[in-house]
Amino acid sequence: MNALISNLTILLLLLPPIVGAGLVTVIKKKRTIGIITICAASLILIQVLLLVPRIVSEKTITAFGDTFYVDSLSAVILLSVSVVGFVAALYSKNYMGRQYDNGTVDDKHIVRYYQGFNVFLLTMLVVPIANNLGIMWVMVEATTLVSVLLIMLYFKENAIEAAWKYLIIATVGLSFALIGTVFFYYANINANTSEDAMNWTGMVHNAKLFDPNLVKIAFVFILVGFGTKAGLAPMHTWLPDAHSEAPTPVSAVLSGVLLNCAFYAIIRFHIISSISIGPEFSNQLLIILAVISIGIAAASIYFQKDMKRMLAYSSVEHMGLISLGIGFGGLFGIYGALLQIVNHAVAKPLMFFASGSVSQKYEAKAMSKIKGIIRVMPVTGILFLIGGLALVGMPPFNVFLSEFMILSSGFKSGQFVATSLVILFLVITFAAFLRHLIKMIFGNPLSEMKKGEMGKLAIIPMAILCSLVIIFGIYIPTQLQTLIHNASTIISGGGFA
Amino acid sequence: METIQFDVLTISGAILLIATFGIVATRGFMDWLNAYRYQSIVLSGITAIIGYVTGIWEIYIAAGLTLVIKSIIIPKVLTYVTRKLEIEFKLETNPYVSIRASVIISALLVALSYFLIQQIPFKSDQIVNAYLPVSMAQFFIGLFVLVNRRTVLSQVVGLLIIENGLFLFAMALTHGVSLLIEIGIFVDILVGILISSILLFRISRTFDSLDVGNLENLRDD
Repeated sequence: MNALISNLTILLLLLPPIVGAGLVTVIKKKRTIGIITICAASLILIQVLLLVPRIVSEKTITAFGDTFYVDSLSAVILLSVSVVGFVAALYSKNYMGRQYDNGTVDDKHIVRYYQGFNVFLLTMLVVPIANNLGIMWVMVEATTLVSVLLIMLYFKENAIEAAWKYLIIATVGLSFALIGTVFFYYANINANTSEDAMNWTGMVHNAKLFDPNLVKIAFVFILVGFGTKAGLAPMHTWLPDAHSEAPTPVSAVLSGVLLNCAFYAIIRFHIISSISIGPEFSNQLLIILAVISIGIAAASIYFQKDMKRMLAYSSVEHMGLISLGIGFGGLFGIYGALLQIVNHAVAKPLMFFASGSVSQKYEAKAMSKIKGIIRVMPVTGILFLIGGLALVGMPPFNVFLSEFMILSSGFKSGQFVATSLVILFLVITFAAFLRHLIKMIFGNPLSEMKKGEMGKLAIIPMAILCSLVIIFGIYIPTQLQTLIHNASTIISGGGFA
Repeated sequence: METIQFDVLTISGAILLIATFGIVATRGFMDWLNAYRYQSIVLSGITAIIGYVTGIWEIYIAAGLTLVIKSIIIPKVLTYVTRKLEIEFKLETNPYVSIRASVIISALLVALSYFLIQQIPFKSDQIVNAYLPVSMAQFFIGLFVLVNRRTVLSQVVGLLIIENGLFLFAMALTHGVSLLIEIGIFVDILVGILISSILLFRISRTFDSLDVGNLENLRDD
């Protein structure tokens, strides 16, 4: 009976995007397909919100035998996927409608867009709940393929270039991840030839018996592979191109949650490797990549000219911070990292949406051409400002709290060099980001512009995210707190040791 | 009996590497495709051998899929997409490292992979001994082709070599991760190739040539 309910839960969760993609293909009417996608995304969101209390009380849910496995860690990722998916679907309606009106996309491509969007959501929902790490890999690769299709929706030279680079770099990167996965699988079948040797539950169970040398090599491959997809420097080179050339709602999803999905894969293998050979090895590697990422992001943001590219580099910075928190370890650091995942997933889409509206209004992405947003579009301007302040870690907004936790855990765990370097980079990012932001938001527009927002449907998703940014800065709901706490204990090994 | 089997393993691995060198040593896209087709047929044969030695029936299905998808469908798709391209788009006239040096580097990569595999503690097993270094060599040579060549077509070929290497790697080391996952991987490759074909077509229409040097608009300076 219980198994039946679990199966139904998972099935119903995955159904809306499948049905959504199907309906979009059949109906093809521009107005309706946007609404269908919003419905699908809101159904997902409602189900995930109902799932969270269940995970908090039951800890884990397995469905269809051992095929799907949901624990608190998966739930954190699911939560970010569903929230960002929902607001991005809302925003798509307005944004793609305008792109259609000004002739950037035609009827055929708007159908493609919504098909792709639904399938993209589906793949990102499967990644965190797949128990089989091979299926997880297949799904991460599938996210690459779908998002490449979404980026090449536009026929512009830059979009084609970005899509090509993304396809090649991400595929090569993920081939490293596959080698790493096969190594872990090999270690597991050597340790114990059970049926579920590729399953995460099986690997965690046997992890202590793995050959330590094999685990080390495997983890390096995993980190390079999924790290490419998660945008950790120096494998991040595809990221600014892809994120800046994609349609804005897709940029928001790419940045807000796709990176998290890839990082989720790293966390899973990090747990296995920590149980097997102790956390020092993987922690050290994570910290090194994190410091490089944050450093490169700081330099790139400082010299940046393009608004969306700046936001993309800020994603590199935040993935670095998450990696740093996991690497510093300790319950405090890991909690901070997971909170950072949630906070970044809320704040970054807000910024992308605002920048999308701004670039539609000004018909430019270069920051030098954008001045006086607050005069031209006051509401968007204020939301943009709040999002920006949150992203650089200004109190009382949400990101401040998680960054503070991560950095203080760095001092606690005695990583003084890494922490001070990161603080230095963060100060540079803070100053550079705010300077760019203030120049765009205040001042006088370069040319006479008609005052006006981009429409209600563009404001609503931003307002939702903005209220979350403010609320999470002051108060984190108890359910979410427990969820993140449980997920942190999974990562620090409490549940398995 | 044992030694004969071992010889079959070594020889088939060597044939596979020869096919890979066929790609490294030629300049034309059609030559690469032929070498790739030949390589995939050998790979499918090797997969069948692994199936025979281990006695796992699922491996035969993987061998069949390899034969159909990699030696028939993918070359057909790529030939179809590129049929309208001018001949100069299909020739690698100006790689970063000359063809002659490329062959030598590839040979060094083969030696490197034999060396690396010896460093890793694998259970000694004749399949692992015979094929694992070959698969690693495929992987490295694929990476080398990918970064060394300028036309976007050869980047696709590089990806294909890498992927064949990965497939052999998984087969040799673990006698195939489960069939379901392998089918998933096949689907991913197929879709990836289709997407890259569409992109190739668009690049050929939008840019003057298929030189990756053209793809440098997006950068931070």
